[in-house]
Amino acid sequence: MIDEQKNTVVLSKEILQEIDTWVEKYPPDQKQSAVLFALTLVQEKHGGWLTEALMDAVADYLGMPRVAVYEVATFYSMYDLKPVGRHKIHVCNNISCMLRNSDEVIQHLENKLDIKVGQTTADGKFTLKTAECLAACANAPMMQIDKTYYEDLTKEKIDKILEQFD
Amino acid sequence: MVTIEIDGKKIETESGKMIIEVADAHNIPIPRFCYHKKLSIAANCRMCLVEVEKSRKPLPACATPVADGMKVFTQSQQAIISQKAVMEFLLINHPLDCPICDQGGECELQDVSMGYGPDISRYTEEKRVVDDENLGSLISTDMTRCIQCTRCVRFGEEVAGFRELGATDRGENMQIGTYVKSGMRSEISGNIIDLCPVGALTSKPYRFTARAWELTQANSIAPHDCLGSHIYLHTRRQEVMRVVPKENEALNETWLSDRDRYSYAGLNHDRVDVPLINNNGIWQETDWSTALNTIVEKLRLVIEKSGAEQIAALASPSSTVEEFYLLQKLMRGLGSHNIDHRLKQCDFSDQTHASIYPHIDFPYADLENKEAILLIGSNIHSEQPLAAVRLRKAVLRGASAWVINPVDYDMHFPVKKSDITTALVEHTAKIAKALLEDKPADIPAGAEALLTTIHVDSGAKEIAHALKKANKAVVILGAIAEQHPQAATLRALAHTIGHLSGARIVIFTEGANSAGAWLAGAIPHREAAGKSVAKFGLTARESLEAKLKAYILFGIEPELDCANPHLALEALKNADFVVVMSAYKNKEMTKYADIILPITPFTETSGTFVNLSGIWQSFQGCVPPFSEARPGWKVLRVLGNFFDLPDFEYASSEQVSDELKALTETINLAKGYSWYFPKSLKESSHSLQRIAEWPIYRIDSLVRRSEPLQRSATLEPLGVRMNGKTAENLQLKANDMALVQQNDNEVNLPVIIDARIPDNVVGVAAGYAETAHLGDTFSEIIVKKA
Amino acid sequence: MKKITEYFRYYLKTFFLWELFQGLKVTLRYFFKRKITVQFPEEMTPISPRFRGLLALRRYPNGEERCIACKLCEAVCPALAITIEAEPREDGSRRTTRYDIDMFKCINCGFCEESCPVDSIVVAPIQHYHMENRGENIMTKEKLLAIGDLMEERLYADREADAPYR
Repeated sequence: MIDEQKNTVVLSKEILQEIDTWVEKYPPDQKQSAVLFALTLVQEKHGGWLTEALMDAVADYLGMPRVAVYEVATFYSMYDLKPVGRHKIHVCNNISCMLRNSDEVIQHLENKLDIKVGQTTADGKFTLKTAECLAACANAPMMQIDKTYYEDLTKEKIDKILEQFD
Repeated sequence: MVTIEIDGKKIETESGKMIIEVADAHNIPIPRFCYHKKLSIAANCRMCLVEVEKSRKPLPACATPVADGMKVFTQSQQAIISQKAVMEFLLINHPLDCPICDQGGECELQDVSMGYGPDISRYTEEKRVVDDENLGSLISTDMTRCIQCTRCVRFGEEVAGFRELGATDRGENMQIGTYVKSGMRSEISGNIIDLCPVGALTSKPYRFTARAWELTQANSIAPHDCLGSHIYLHTRRQEVMRVVPKENEALNETWLSDRDRYSYAGLNHDRVDVPLINNNGIWQETDWSTALNTIVEKLRLVIEKSGAEQIAALASPSSTVEEFYLLQKLMRGLGSHNIDHRLKQCDFSDQTHASIYPHIDFPYADLENKEAILLIGSNIHSEQPLAAVRLRKAVLRGASAWVINPVDYDMHFPVKKSDITTALVEHTAKIAKALLEDKPADIPAGAEALLTTIHVDSGAKEIAHALKKANKAVVILGAIAEQHPQAATLRALAHTIGHLSGARIVIFTEGANSAGAWLAGAIPHREAAGKSVAKFGLTARESLEAKLKAYILFGIEPELDCANPHLALEALKNADFVVVMSAYKNKEMTKYADIILPITPFTETSGTFVNLSGIWQSFQGCVPPFSEARPGWKVLRVLGNFFDLPDFEYASSEQVSDELKALTETINLAKGYSWYFPKSLKESSHSLQRIAEWPIYRIDSLVRRSEPLQRSATLEPLGVRMNGKTAENLQLKANDMALVQQNDNEVNLPVIIDARIPDNVVGVAAGYAETAHLGDTFSEIIVKKA
Repeated sequence: MKKITEYFRYYLKTFFLWELFQGLKVTLRYFFKRKITVQFPEEMTPISPRFRGLLALRRYPNGEERCIACKLCEAVCPALAITIEAEPREDGSRRTTRYDIDMFKCINCGFCEESCPVDSIVVAPIQHYHMENRGENIMTKEKLLAIGDLMEERLYADREADAPYR
């Protein structure tokens, strides 16, 4: 392709090696099976969100049509396509949490961080998002910050949790 | 075989078929949106729900295989209720903008909602709105109308092999688009307009101009490649409004290339409206009889003074059989055999060995069943977009494809190995040699002598053996092979490979009617129907090199259509008398021509094209000639009368083609290629080489005038293309202006870094006014910083 | 017997010009009735809001022409009097570039108004129009819009009046 003179990204050797360990788990003609992992990894290593150039790089490496990678990245809520804060808060608003007042949790977070769902705080610390069921219904309401689950949330508890992050 | 019952009708059918296929075959209507017979089954619209006996729920007819004893009801209460429910869901988000929608009147959703839709929507919430995509100059989008049937996505993935559209986001937010804002580059992208069951994807040049019910449909034949796709010309008030494909399984299936679909946009640009005559440098309008009388007078003068051999005729390879036949009859009646249509070629040394006419000896549709494919010198997607679709089908069915090309063109199907080299001959020779080394019984005389210096490598061996092993193999020569300076050698090698491996040979000839030109005698060494000539005339190339006294140009723009435009212009400017018969005028023409006669493009004349399978496909004009223009065959016929030549009394174009057909029936048309081998292989040059192909939308006068095609993202921008290494050697960077020099003529062109081009080669396209003063398409070139 | 009295009455009526006076009674009655004669052309008869006369193209109150070039009127016209050509306007909307009605062909059936989805083409209550020169029978888009502009108030009122019965 010749029109790809726009800003391209070269994935680092370490990332490619790690993607390879996943590629190996699938039959050689189904390299694209590793796309979810590859995107997660690339997102993690590049500031928590995916640019078009990053997705293109993944697509080219796995030999997929680029638009197929865009499809995957836009489908799953764990991929961010816009700049995000240092920490991503996912509040579950699915049925169990909703019945246990997740709406209040979201409201409280919005007030406290002074942002709306989907936005990032001015200091770039937090991005607030809602999520569908994260499989912790037993301890609803719950939220996930980065990779950790925080359960049985109350307003006081949330305030305390948020203090831990910088 | 299984027996099923649809609506009480007993039907015997093959097992494994889907209900909808069986119903379609028996004209039982089932509404559908996402199902299309040429695409994979998605079953995501649910419109085709039918009731099946003993099934608890209604089943989608497109994804339910038939089983013995199955009873299907398409009109039962349960089926109708389900279909109505689906329809209501589909209409929830579909805007009610039929009055401003181009699909209105030919819309599947509109039709089906007439049958199944509710009168009143129960939906009171907000409707969904989706931003429109910019898909370039050919396709316009109204994505809010999209019902997400994903036909366009599947077309890109399965048929075109070039997936540009996808379904991004999910749930209610799902939308079809490219995600990145870019125009579509597929050369058959226009087909998604036909596929789209709603008005989400419509034709941009046709946008808002007409309604389906106003159009008159006429059959015609696509005039841009040797496939001869069947098309419908849709006309309104004697103007061609659009072109759509006519289904023909043997040729174009349900598809049409963008080139054939959108070239109509150029039909009425730069037309010559009345005969023009150059009166001492001043162009004057004149009437037909004055113009023709002047031609007779001036050509007679040339014949008297210097002999008829000083006249040459050059015709477009997309002229009709009738035009070719009458042009050669006129020329030969005047006493000259100098007639040719092979303008873009430069090697004619094997012309006496060629078959009666170029054609393939198997049904074209069988191309998709080939098991091994060797592609030599062909940018197949650009030259023959629909043949590439067939090849892709073959490859997806398990065929192996190999490519030998001077440029690493994008192939939209998996290729086993691409040999990217300027030494096409050498690499092809290696495969032939590999086959020779197997010591076959019947070696063509001269092959061994030619190939003594060639050393076989393992890659060539692999290809050779695969071709030999495959039951159905094919060697394809494309336009680049045909236009190559050693085209004859390439043809000889391809035939050798074919002969020794059992592979069939396909030569994709230039224009729509090269086969017709050979049959009609628009070649200097044979008359109509292959009758040989005692003293050969001059080929296109020779007649330009010889700088003759008079030229007749038929439907061409030599500076854009000839292998060496510089040579052509020099010859024409030096000539005493140049007659141009052309539908279109350009500036250059007024510099060399003495008379310009307006003829008509394919929509305004009747005629016949002979396609690559040797099928004669006739068509009628569907709109009257523009202004004073007249069909080419009529002009030639009357010119014949003015010269008092015998047997020029034709009342219709059918009479002309019938006369030629009768001639061809007396000979053995299948008479094939006879062996021709040059003495030795030429050494490939080590200096900087130019590779020039005619880009997809620059191949003839008509497409060059189609403005939407010219703006399409498929057409790569003009420039000097070279890879990074060559650029470094030449001390050039991307977007620098480079001075390009050939035959003491120079032009400034921007540098484009293109990794597909091999070292020490630059790609400078032909067919542009900017490059019209350069020399040979494949030869040495000088490039330096401007 | 009866025959004789009939005969007698007949002669009596004839003699006293009975029927003449009966006729004059009607004349006398109309002599005192309110007059309905209209002094045409100084005066005009009132016409129905449904009167189908010359045609007009309407605009929206903001001045935007209503016609969207859907061509339904052209399709429905039984006399093939309408000729429309359209293309995308600069702002991308669908508009006519030509809207001609041949008044020689037009049979004032009003189907065009019935078919119009945006109430653009209307049959206006104009009954007296004439042409003096060749070509004036063609009502162009400009003329039709001009009539619409002149008559808008009336056209609106007529349609309001008729709305309950449609």
